[in-house]
Amino acid sequence: MFPWSPEFVWDAGHLAFFGAFYSVLAAIAAVLGLGLRRAVADARAGRAHRIAWHAAFEELPARDRACRHQLTGEAPGRVCDNAFDCRRCAAHPSFEALRATHASAVPATGPAGLHLPGDRLYHRGHAFVRPEPDGTVTVGLDDLARRLVGEAEVVERPRPGMCLEEDAPALRLRAQGREVRVLSPVRGVVIGTSGEGAAVTVRVDPEGPLDTRHLLDGDEVGAWAMREIERLQALLGPRELGPALADGGELLPDLGAVIPRERVDGVLGEMFLDL
Amino acid sequence: MSERLDEGLTPRGLPRAPLRRFVLWLVPWTALLGVGLYAGYRCLAYGLNETNLDNRFAFGLWIYLDLTVIALGAGAFFTGLLLYVLRKRELKAVINSAVVLGFICYSGAVAILMIDVGQPLRAWFTFWHPNVHSMLTEVTFCLTCYLVVLAFEYLPIVLRNRKLSRLPSLLLFEHQLHKLMVVFALVGAFLSFFHQGSLGGLYGVLQGRPFAFREALAVWPSTFFLFILSAAAAGPSFVLATTWIASKLSSRALVRPEVYELLGRVSGRLLVLYVLLKSVDTLVWLNHTSPQLGIHPARFYAFDPFGTWVLFAEIVALGLLPALVLTSARWRRDPRFLVPAAFLACAGVALNRFIMTVQTLALPTLPFDPFLTYLPSWQETMSFLGVVAYGVVLYSLSFRYLNLFPQERELLASEEVTHVPLVA
Repeated sequence: MFPWSPEFVWDAGHLAFFGAFYSVLAAIAAVLGLGLRRAVADARAGRAHRIAWHAAFEELPARDRACRHQLTGEAPGRVCDNAFDCRRCAAHPSFEALRATHASAVPATGPAGLHLPGDRLYHRGHAFVRPEPDGTVTVGLDDLARRLVGEAEVVERPRPGMCLEEDAPALRLRAQGREVRVLSPVRGVVIGTSGEGAAVTVRVDPEGPLDTRHLLDGDEVGAWAMREIERLQALLGPRELGPALADGGELLPDLGAVIPRERVDGVLGEMFLDL
Repeated sequence: MSERLDEGLTPRGLPRAPLRRFVLWLVPWTALLGVGLYAGYRCLAYGLNETNLDNRFAFGLWIYLDLTVIALGAGAFFTGLLLYVLRKRELKAVINSAVVLGFICYSGAVAILMIDVGQPLRAWFTFWHPNVHSMLTEVTFCLTCYLVVLAFEYLPIVLRNRKLSRLPSLLLFEHQLHKLMVVFALVGAFLSFFHQGSLGGLYGVLQGRPFAFREALAVWPSTFFLFILSAAAAGPSFVLATTWIASKLSSRALVRPEVYELLGRVSGRLLVLYVLLKSVDTLVWLNHTSPQLGIHPARFYAFDPFGTWVLFAEIVALGLLPALVLTSARWRRDPRFLVPAAFLACAGVALNRFIMTVQTLALPTLPFDPFLTYLPSWQETMSFLGVVAYGVVLYSLSFRYLNLFPQERELLASEEVTHVPLVA
């Protein structure tokens, strides 16, 4: 077995056979060691949340990865490849330039009666960011998210002093017996939280100038909300039928309560991008 | 409570059968697995007396099963090779499933081999006191190494489970392992090539068995190469067939038609090459090798039920026919042709391994030898079926709790991304 074993013979057969065998074992061990070392380096560099978000993003179907410029018609059919981080997108500035310069104010009421105030920026995972006069921001659930979780219970809220990472879980809610994580739209230090249930908000100090290029604002919020309602319809409609046209009306204030029990988990996961 | 636990483990947003129905599906397979384990225990505890194997019929159902599942499990190494080394990105849609199938096939083969060899407490002897001149030693080493490789290929798929991926340390390890998968793919290809070949070579060197003996190319008999090629050809067909079965049982599309088509094309082209080389090999054997050993080839097919129909079935019905279907672009696009052709290709490799194992030993080698018959005992049969049940149970659990088919979510989103022009 080994050169020091009495059964080992120094001939070509033994050398070739055991050489190949130990090379394979060494390769396996080296790969595992390298993987572990890199994983430790990632953990020390605090890259866990980014990696988790990218992994979740890659699982999203193309329909759910629609580029913001597709929603507003500047780039029909375009699908995001940058994990919704427009700051890393080479094409984003040119699409921005295309957009009409006279962007109208966002109506306070979006499609299907959604309340989407124009003083806020929106994350694709249904969290809003409201800049405050003192340089901090308030993070909370947008109207569609609130209706989806209804009478939710906050399972876990960030402690003051904790550092929030972009696209990492900021809050954990329990709605209809299912847990869902709300992704943070910004990076910063938590100052405090307030409110209960779906009305919970988190005050965050971004510790410097806030770069919000990856968040939705202006005209695109209404277009995005419309697309989100279509997604919701697709998720709730009969699978074999696909989405059906709605005939108007407003979304129920406690939408989550009427979603079939077996679909709640999937719907929450898909809408909050928490796969 | 159990339903909540089950739901917490299934991939979010991917519909799965209700827990009750899933449990009902598992019950008969688990029962079969239990009986198989009991049969295996009896063989280990009381020895090979529990089987109908003897000194003259030393290879039976178990070795046949080993050779077949190892050939079909080649889908794992070959799909990995095509995806990670040859950059056939479309196969990302089935690589997870192929790895699980490979793991099932190889772990099942190792389990049955351990029962066959016996003396489990001395299983390590094969590594510590190896006979380096034995092809079986190479097979044992390769199987063990490749099973370890497959376990590490399976690990990232398990770690992507909804609950496990919430643990940052496991997620980071999974992420890094996934990035290094090309090394595992290369090591797997290296090992698989060698042990598939050695299993074939094992028969080709049997000079005392003229039915199996083949001429050597350098030091390797032709069966060495034919086993590699047939496994590489049947592997993608097996992945195709199992994906199709999973799709039918779950009543939803799991991969795009192009993926089936690509698997069929790869399998078909390799199968054409295999049938060609197998035909040449058979002609050389019939006209040169066998007469030189003093046996007229007709004698090999003079004993029922192994008539010449076996040769026809192996080369034409289960070789040439699926090869022609799978190489035709028009037929490949039609699932009514593609899927049966993939099943035929798998059946072809299974028949080949059966012939090499059972017919080889059944045929007389000396004029006064009788034609041997062998019927596996219930212990052999049940441990064989136990491995099949183990495969079904593990694959079912993997399908339910892991994301085996990355395109499933995409295909579920029935609505395509559409243009919503809101800005003039």
